[in-house]
Amino acid sequence: MAASTPSKDGVSRRGFLHGAGGTAIMSASAGLVAGTAVGAIGASAVLAGDAAHAATSGGPTGIAALGAAQSQLAYPFYGEHQSGIATPPQDHLVFMSFDMTGKSRTDLQLVLAKWSAAMAEMTAGKAIGATEPGREQAIPVDTGEATGMGPQGLTLTLGFGPSLFDDRFGLEKFKPANFADLPAMAGESLQPQFTGGDLCIQACAYDPQVAYHAIRNLARMARTQVKTRWTVLGFGRASAGANQQTPRNLMGFKDGTRNITTAEDMAEHVWTGEETGQSWMNGGTYLVARKIHMMIETWDTDSIGDQQSIFGRTKHEGAPHSGKLEHDVPDFAAKGADGEPVIAADSHIALAAHENNNGVKILRRGYNFTDGLDSVGRLDAGLFFLSFQNDPANFVALQRRLGSSDRLNEYIRHVGSAVFAVPAGLPAAGSYYGQEFFA
Amino acid sequence: MISTPRKRTTALLVAGPALAAMVLAGCSGTTGATGTGAAGGGAPVANGTAAVSVSVKNVDGKDQCVPDFTSAPAGPVTFNISNKDASGVSEVELLSDKRILGERENVIPGLKPVSFTVTLSGGSYQLYCPGAGTEYTPFTVTGNSTAAASNGTTDLLAAGTAGYGGYVSGQVASLVEAVAALKTAVDSGDVTASQKAYAAARPFYERIEPVAESFPELDPALDLRIADVEPGAEWTGFHPLERDLFETKAITDSTKALAAGLVENVGKLQKETTGLQYKAEELANGASGLLEEVQSSKITGEEEAYSKLDLLDFGANVEGSQQAFEYLKPALVVIDADLVKTISAQFDTVTAALEDYKDANAIGGWKPYTEELKASDATKLTQLIQSLQDPLSKIAAKVAAV
Repeated sequence: MAASTPSKDGVSRRGFLHGAGGTAIMSASAGLVAGTAVGAIGASAVLAGDAAHAATSGGPTGIAALGAAQSQLAYPFYGEHQSGIATPPQDHLVFMSFDMTGKSRTDLQLVLAKWSAAMAEMTAGKAIGATEPGREQAIPVDTGEATGMGPQGLTLTLGFGPSLFDDRFGLEKFKPANFADLPAMAGESLQPQFTGGDLCIQACAYDPQVAYHAIRNLARMARTQVKTRWTVLGFGRASAGANQQTPRNLMGFKDGTRNITTAEDMAEHVWTGEETGQSWMNGGTYLVARKIHMMIETWDTDSIGDQQSIFGRTKHEGAPHSGKLEHDVPDFAAKGADGEPVIAADSHIALAAHENNNGVKILRRGYNFTDGLDSVGRLDAGLFFLSFQNDPANFVALQRRLGSSDRLNEYIRHVGSAVFAVPAGLPAAGSYYGQEFFA
Repeated sequence: MISTPRKRTTALLVAGPALAAMVLAGCSGTTGATGTGAAGGGAPVANGTAAVSVSVKNVDGKDQCVPDFTSAPAGPVTFNISNKDASGVSEVELLSDKRILGERENVIPGLKPVSFTVTLSGGSYQLYCPGAGTEYTPFTVTGNSTAAASNGTTDLLAAGTAGYGGYVSGQVASLVEAVAALKTAVDSGDVTASQKAYAAARPFYERIEPVAESFPELDPALDLRIADVEPGAEWTGFHPLERDLFETKAITDSTKALAAGLVENVGKLQKETTGLQYKAEELANGASGLLEEVQSSKITGEEEAYSKLDLLDFGANVEGSQQAFEYLKPALVVIDADLVKTISAQFDTVTAALEDYKDANAIGGWKPYTEELKASDATKLTQLIQSLQDPLSKIAAKVAAV
């Protein structure tokens, strides 16, 4: 019999294991602080009282208390926007894209309603049903591997791919204006098995098993109506939210130093409004997912001088070449003694900077990933780039510049790609994503 | 069949009265938690059918499942169920003891109300809402209590299991003839004829494999694959024969001995299965188990590694699964009509998709399951079968006697 009783011991032991790494403690503490800070832009976290107190007061039980606090972190499921966007990036990600196999509108409606209810349960740290049903012949409703682990800051974010709005389900008239698959761009080597999808779910949590449990159970409950298309497991966040330390990508550089953090920027660059022509996108956004394979071994043989000049920043501090500290604003006009720009014009930060892109900003929320070894024996790893923006064209404009002239391209390959319309948050229990489609 | 249910936990039996007590306690404390309706009269009857509304909703942060009446007169009773905002509840069942008499799944917030109708005789029942704060609500039917409180499904299931017993006998009888023909072909030394005879015999076994598996001596003797043979143990049955006929393509004395052994063991299988009676949940688990077989050994190409006849077995497993389901259907449709619809549609989808893999010119009538075909189609086939097995796996609990 599987044990199904949550135990205090289980929670704190997990917390300890999780907090055992120095960086994990820092990120956890940043996450907790950010939980309140982010309240300013629409999301706020709920912490169990004792745990929150223990975490903020420190003390001898520090690590265990912090782990316990983190395990009990729960973000509200209902609200103006979906969580998992403005939410300070959690440590782990499981992303999955799906295709509908069900052919009727009722099939789709059922999937969306079931998912919405189950997401509400799981983000609150609850099982979606009995893990140990009373009848001998019954099949467990919840698979059970997240039992007793707490919500772990789980967020579940749902997106609709452009293909969902074709003629299969009669949703043509609900398609947001100008919403389409991303155009082909320079520097891509896309593999069909990592592209597209009718639906996607992004699961983020402070524990990878909690995130995996969520995706697994959502996939399971819809198995008769949807099939899995592709998935990515992110093992470390590669972008920073407000008040979070900037994490590093697998190239060893800080990623997300100039990310969007304020409510003003979110309103201006991320959340969609009436321009989409769809009421369900009022308060929504667009998610761009890019699976970026890194040529890790060749990068590892590149000199520090070249690596830094490719990014336009120092490796350790992350300072732009025009400054000394990470958060010094890059001065793209600054010239060296040789009359050349201090930050190379074809460096990654110069090409991506909003100053050089008509003020365009996107919210990056990517994760490092690994798929083990590739077919020719190389490390198969890289960045699962996730960005949220109020117009996929903003990403396309940035990527066109990067894809055609970024010196980083020698070391990366975009192998996966998808774009999804992310509906606004659900107002309250009793509503489900896509409800407007079936009115 | 495969599993003999372990000794059932007594937890539920103990929990029953305790929960009932909680319901009663909640009744006095919470307004509207349990409507009592007209005292003694129970749910109102219109056109001969009593109607009970069950509202599933979130009350003060707790999911609750609240019927407007907790009793009804004997006869047909319709339960109309709506879920306003209880995200933790997704199904409602009517139980007699622990047997499911009727139920609806997909009772999801935001979706339209659903209903099911059951014909009940006088007695005590329970409304079961898994996930609700109060999961069990006693439901009383007043009046005539002639028949067992089972709304006729007991008889339907008895007829179904008897029918399935006949089906198994028929398959085994055909298998006896087919392996005899296989032995004749092998004895004649004709490899091509033996290959065809091998392919002709396999489906009869694969359709009823869960039954054979319930005889722990016979199944390994008949159907063991090389990977599962204990070192030093003798390898007998279909698969060493398959290796001789399809890989080495040479009939030796040992090949003939294998064929003779097969005939002997199939004879034992016939003896063991004659007059065997089955339980409804055994049919259900067998139907699901056959699809598990498809996923774990056919789609992977392990079953027929030498002959590449995996798709022939695949088709037979699906047929056998559907047969077991069909025998349960008359009862199951009373219990959960929606689920029957879903499963039937998935069987149709699978059957239609499998048409693409038939090849009248190939041995056994199916395309050989080559590495190339596996590489291109295995994912598709897996998804196809999973979409069917998932709902099918749920029926055992619905038809089980307790």
